[in-house]
Amino acid sequence: MSTLAALARLRAVHTGAAQRLATVRHCHLSERPMVLIPLRLAGEAAAPLAAMAGTDPARPRLLVVPQPRDRDLRFAFAAELAEILLPYIEGLQKATETVERRGAEPFERCVDAPQVIVPNRSAVAFVQLLGRSTRFRRAEGEYAVHPSVPVLGRWLTFLAQRAQYPGSASLLAATEAMSLHWATGQSALEDANLASLMGWIDPPPGMTGAEAAREAEDPLVWPPAGPATDPGFDSEVLAPAIRAYAETRSDRAAARVGEAVRSQLEPTWRLMWRAVGLLGALPAGPGVAARWEGDRASFTGFAAQLAEGGPPQPKRDGAVGAASRLARMERAQASYDAQRAYDDPLVMAGHRLTGEAFTGTVLAADPDHAEGEGRGRKLRPLLTVRTSDPVRLAAGTRLGTPERRGQQAEVVEITGGHVTLKIVKGMGRGRTASPGSVPEVGERVCYAALTDEYQPPASLPAPEDTPWTHGGPPPEHVPAVEEPDEEEWA
Amino acid sequence: MSESLDDLEERINTLRSEIRRAVRAREGALARSLRAELRGAERAWDQALAAHEPTPDEAAPDEPPGSLLPVREQVHQALTLLGVPAAGKMIVAVHGALRAGSLRGPQLTSLRRDEERSFRTSPFARPYYLCAALTDRLSASRGLLAVSTWPLEKRVIGPLSPRVDFLTTAIRVAEHLLRLDEPAEQAPPGAQRLLARLAQNIPGAAPYGTGTPGAGAAVRGAGPGVVPGFAVPDPAVVVKAARAELAVHADADATARAEIAGRARDRLRDPERLFGGAMLTLARREA
Amino acid sequence: MDRLDELRGPVPPRPHDARAIAALAANPGCARRAVLDAAGIDKDATATHLGFPAPFGQSPFAITRGNVFEALVKESGCAELLRLLREILGLPIPLASYTDLGDVGGNPSAHLRHSHTRRLLDRAARDGDDAGTLYDHPLLRLDIAGHTSYLEPDVVAFRLGGRFHIVEIKSFSVIDGQAEPDKVAAAARQAAVYVLALRDTLEELGHDPARVSHDVVLVCPENFANRPAATLVDVRRELAVLRRQLARMTRVGAIVDALEPGLTFDLVPDAGGAPTRPVADLREAVRGVGARYAPDCLSTCDLCFFCRDEAASEGSTDLLGRQVRDALGGVATVAEALGLADGSLIPDEGQEEIARLLRLADRMYAEVS
Ligand code: SF4
Repeated sequence: MSTLAALARLRAVHTGAAQRLATVRHCHLSERPMVLIPLRLAGEAAAPLAAMAGTDPARPRLLVVPQPRDRDLRFAFAAELAEILLPYIEGLQKATETVERRGAEPFERCVDAPQVIVPNRSAVAFVQLLGRSTRFRRAEGEYAVHPSVPVLGRWLTFLAQRAQYPGSASLLAATEAMSLHWATGQSALEDANLASLMGWIDPPPGMTGAEAAREAEDPLVWPPAGPATDPGFDSEVLAPAIRAYAETRSDRAAARVGEAVRSQLEPTWRLMWRAVGLLGALPAGPGVAARWEGDRASFTGFAAQLAEGGPPQPKRDGAVGAASRLARMERAQASYDAQRAYDDPLVMAGHRLTGEAFTGTVLAADPDHAEGEGRGRKLRPLLTVRTSDPVRLAAGTRLGTPERRGQQAEVVEITGGHVTLKIVKGMGRGRTASPGSVPEVGERVCYAALTDEYQPPASLPAPEDTPWTHGGPPPEHVPAVEEPDEEEWA
Repeated sequence: MSESLDDLEERINTLRSEIRRAVRAREGALARSLRAELRGAERAWDQALAAHEPTPDEAAPDEPPGSLLPVREQVHQALTLLGVPAAGKMIVAVHGALRAGSLRGPQLTSLRRDEERSFRTSPFARPYYLCAALTDRLSASRGLLAVSTWPLEKRVIGPLSPRVDFLTTAIRVAEHLLRLDEPAEQAPPGAQRLLARLAQNIPGAAPYGTGTPGAGAAVRGAGPGVVPGFAVPDPAVVVKAARAELAVHADADATARAEIAGRARDRLRDPERLFGGAMLTLARREA
Repeated sequence: MDRLDELRGPVPPRPHDARAIAALAANPGCARRAVLDAAGIDKDATATHLGFPAPFGQSPFAITRGNVFEALVKESGCAELLRLLREILGLPIPLASYTDLGDVGGNPSAHLRHSHTRRLLDRAARDGDDAGTLYDHPLLRLDIAGHTSYLEPDVVAFRLGGRFHIVEIKSFSVIDGQAEPDKVAAAARQAAVYVLALRDTLEELGHDPARVSHDVVLVCPENFANRPAATLVDVRRELAVLRRQLARMTRVGAIVDALEPGLTFDLVPDAGGAPTRPVADLREAVRGVGARYAPDCLSTCDLCFFCRDEAASEGSTDLLGRQVRDALGGVATVAEALGLADGSLIPDEGQEEIARLLRLADRMYAEVS
């Protein structure tokens, strides 16, 4: 945690209101996101209990499993979820654009992609488990499920995998998206509670954020945002309702379970859309569109793979795949951090505090400065910047700057508040620097040792989704049907 | 659902929303007292529900005709088929799988107590009693049921007896399927599943992938295993594999059981011999 | 130890179960907790009476699921468990004996059951492998700050080649070889308590405590079916932490001696057991022992809401979590940190660096937001 973020939390405690951690929005927000709130039966790994889903705040769809231990009902739930999610996803595959590339075939990319927003990290994990438990199912033979179920499983798996990719917005956890932009006066642990986090950020009239957050911790007032339900609710309301359903299997008993879970889901549903509204009110940062392009490309690629009849995603990465994936993730994380800093002075301030970046005023500029002679002569404009930031950079460090995104500079020397640097890239190819590429004396500038190597994917699919069929590890043997769930306790 | 349950539910709902209001209005004391009231209402609801719940006997309108037999008869049938003391859960599973019966766990809970009462009122009036298996301490073993007409050696439980009885159970179930005289794949699915479950914990009995190599490993792969989902073990293979392991334990088990049975004969009177002695009195006698 | 009894009041000390003992290691720096636990005080009742009931609860579904899974693993003389042990530890076929130490008939006292367990464990430790293999429901004992706690583990002690292992059965799923890390960690902490208790028992009986392995067998359902799978988990680290904390608790005497005379946490229960102690009075008493609140308390200690409230009213930076405190270089209160940030407070010696950072952060925050 940066000192800046810590200070923001202190200010939140002091004022009783959340503090901004960003001046722009760093995640893409779709015009028509799908909000999904899954609930799971306590004690079970992946037994869905209910879900609320939809793209229209006024018309949530409620899905209920009146007896979560009943395998058939569970898969009926999956089929119903598929009915909501698959049309949303398929609708977005229709409109495509042609992307021209230098030196390669142009390719088609969907102009938009699905965006699913769930309450928290645990819900992301649950989406992944739900994907894992459905994508290997078969539509024929014994234990057959509805044909949409394995398709749903693959899409859920796709979304869950995207969620691990830094900067992807295909599957967002609301708590994380909000915490990225606001600091509360409580601990990160408590921020994982959506209601309490939203209490800080957007308290109801007449209440401070701190008060709203405390109130939100009472499960009677604000049911937990799932996937786990409140144990008190389980024993007092849900257990009797499920028992009544198990005994009678009547519609009335099913409706009672439905009403019980609705009471737990509706408050969160409203919270989710409030969160979407608050995020939407922030102007999008410049890098957001490029990262979303990555999501769109990945989506396009996966849809094609699915259409070609590719097999379900394997259960585990091979060792080699996992290692290279990790390295890719780390690079992606570094780029994502850098982009956010370049997009947002408030994020940059965090790096300035650690000495990796600085802002200051140009004291002197030598735009025509060059190194070498004759053919080896290279233009290397020199700048001296006065700064009061605690710069901690070694000579030779590569720097970028938010004002001129393609540009790169190198630290020459640092002496007591003066940084001398030379521009090595992004000042034109002529004998003199192209106009405007070298800051002028008196200009406010910012330089940072953050590299943004992020490249919007040049080809399909995005590298992190390279299917095993294209050189990835072979899938492990997938049995025809998984061992039946033995519902001994049902 | 009765009137009062509906009323209580309504009351609970109202209380919940009142609590919400109280908390919002920062009326801590009120919220607290409402919460107490809510807990009370919920307890009342639970009690009302319990009182309202149908007793097991009238709750099973769709039982198959076979279950017109009294519960104790059905349990007796299942135990006789197995020939070893068994837990309620196993009795229910065996009866369901092999007799198409529909015993339910809760029906068995008071059985042993009822039998004991009947025995104490008029000893040996019935041809058989469903009684206890005896532990090494000569007390009634938790959860195991046995038949009074069995020799004491069968009803006592030494350290290896649970394993021996488990293997015997598997053999009996497999033999039962063999007697049905039709391919294992055509046995009722419940029976196949039961056999598969038993077989997977016996080395060499399951068609593939399970059990430890060692005893009976030669038969691996011999099972028909064509039903998708799980492979049905070949009952003959199960019998062979279970016998192989049984042979390893049989002597040690028999010795231990004979010793316990001997002690039981010496120290226990009739009712205790059937339903178990109390540990404390025994401790004194031991001393 | 009568001072501890005095602190508790006229109720029997609350027995610690393995979960509670494992949680003792969660916040070792907290004197309040150390004193309350050492005195065997019912922290849940204390917190409730203070008006800050603990936010913990377990869903009946989770409880049922746990019981059902455990029954499945143990049914028919632990048939499933035997299969697993044969698979992962190469347990030879002849070793299949099963003794239920809890199945003693009647309803004997914990003490009686413990001596039964001891007797059989002693025999098992002395005899060869054919003496016994699986021992279910051993009733173990652990001394905590001078009080004896009986542990009624639903674990199986298992012996092979002269070594004992603890088998712990948990109903969280392992999916494609992975389980939720917190749950595995909690299971390991609990298993460590049993390992320690079993080691103590063997040692008392004159056997080598090292005969209890630090590798415990964790049995969980695999994937989405209900079938059990086993993994070996090394709990050496958890054992070390636990031992350290138990040793601290026996040294709790120093803290207790420093408490004001007459201080007590007695709830003054009436005939029906309902507490009658004035709340304000109790609050003063609890505040009389220093706490060290951290957000982790929210999942480990019954007093968490009370201590959080206290930390909030003191404006303590502990409220915001370790990461924030670290970033603040240990500045104790929000007011102090904000004072350093806006320059209204002169930094103490040693605070210059963090004060400079905070002032800078404050300036930047004002500059860009
Ligand atoms: S909640 Fe309070 S008493 Fe418990 S460990 Fe935390 S600070 Fe100590």
